[in-house]
Amino acid sequence: MSESAETTSKYVLQTVGFDARFPNTNQTRNCFQNYTDYFKCITAKGEDFAPCKQFKKAYNSLCPNEWISKWDDQRENGTFPASLEP
Amino acid sequence: MTKNYIKMNNKIKFQYFPYHLVDPSPWPILLSFSLLTFTTGAVLYMHGFNNGGLVLTLGFLLTSSGMALWFRDVISEATLLGCHTREVKNGLMLGVFLFIVSEVFAFLSVFWAFFHSSLSPAIEIGGSWPPLGITPLDPFAIPLLNTILLLSSGAFITYGHHALIAGNRKAAIDGTLLTIIFAILFTGLQYYEYSEAGFTMADGVYGSAFYASTGLHGLHVIVGTIFILVGFVRIVNYHLTKSHHQGFEAAIAYWHFVDVVWLFLFLAVYFWGGA
Repeated sequence: MSESAETTSKYVLQTVGFDARFPNTNQTRNCFQNYTDYFKCITAKGEDFAPCKQFKKAYNSLCPNEWISKWDDQRENGTFPASLEP
Repeated sequence: MTKNYIKMNNKIKFQYFPYHLVDPSPWPILLSFSLLTFTTGAVLYMHGFNNGGLVLTLGFLLTSSGMALWFRDVISEATLLGCHTREVKNGLMLGVFLFIVSEVFAFLSVFWAFFHSSLSPAIEIGGSWPPLGITPLDPFAIPLLNTILLLSSGAFITYGHHALIAGNRKAAIDGTLLTIIFAILFTGLQYYEYSEAGFTMADGVYGSAFYASTGLHGLHVIVGTIFILVGFVRIVNYHLTKSHHQGFEAAIAYWHFVDVVWLFLFLAVYFWGGA
């Protein structure tokens, strides 16, 4: 139990800051851009490359979970609508 | 006695106004029902209902034959009965231009659909235009050739029109015939390009927007070609004179409209939308 208390205390609830590319209230494109950028990033630099995690944080904060699982499925089936080549 | 009778008869038939009071005709009501059948058939067919294609074909045949029979009457009134006075011709030409304005707005709606989908592509197509996996047509291959063909046909019809006004029968026939040949070449090349294209109307918004816009234009090219063909046959048959050829001028106006729409299609859909 002490471990879970520790993680809870370390966990920082954080939303993404303002991005000048997506000034509108609707953040759909912001979410989508970060999702594709994350997979481009890890393809180029590997999953352990720390700066890539920023994209993952951003899309996890912005995207509805339903969309993320839908896009994960699409990537597996090769039907994701955007190129993920860096 | 006979002379008196002719005098009397002319007096009775003389019209003190320049307008054409049309005779009762079955075509308006027939065409109303034909068009209803045509549109209903189109909806049934496109939504996959049973025998939708049959209703659509019936509607098309009724509408086109109804139009042919109506226009045949108009030709009789114009060429044989002399009903088309200057005032009547003004009214007809006003009708033609109002019709073309309504066509402009029909094309505006498909252009709107195209720009709606392409200027800010949805994330469902990956936020890019053309979408991933679509290989657009090269605008500088057949589409550029078609632009040249259509613009040339516009020049030929002007040549034919001016020859008609000048009373040069041979040049009028040649110019109009060349227009028709170039128009048919255009349609043939569009057909070839459609059959070679790597996308269909049903596989995404790119194909839908592409075929809806260029297809609507293609239909107008076919109608315009038939319109000019009617003018051509009427020149050959001595229906049209240097000062009385309203139907031909309507066809010319329609053809130029179709030509201008193509230029916008070429710039927007083929060149900008395919890059």
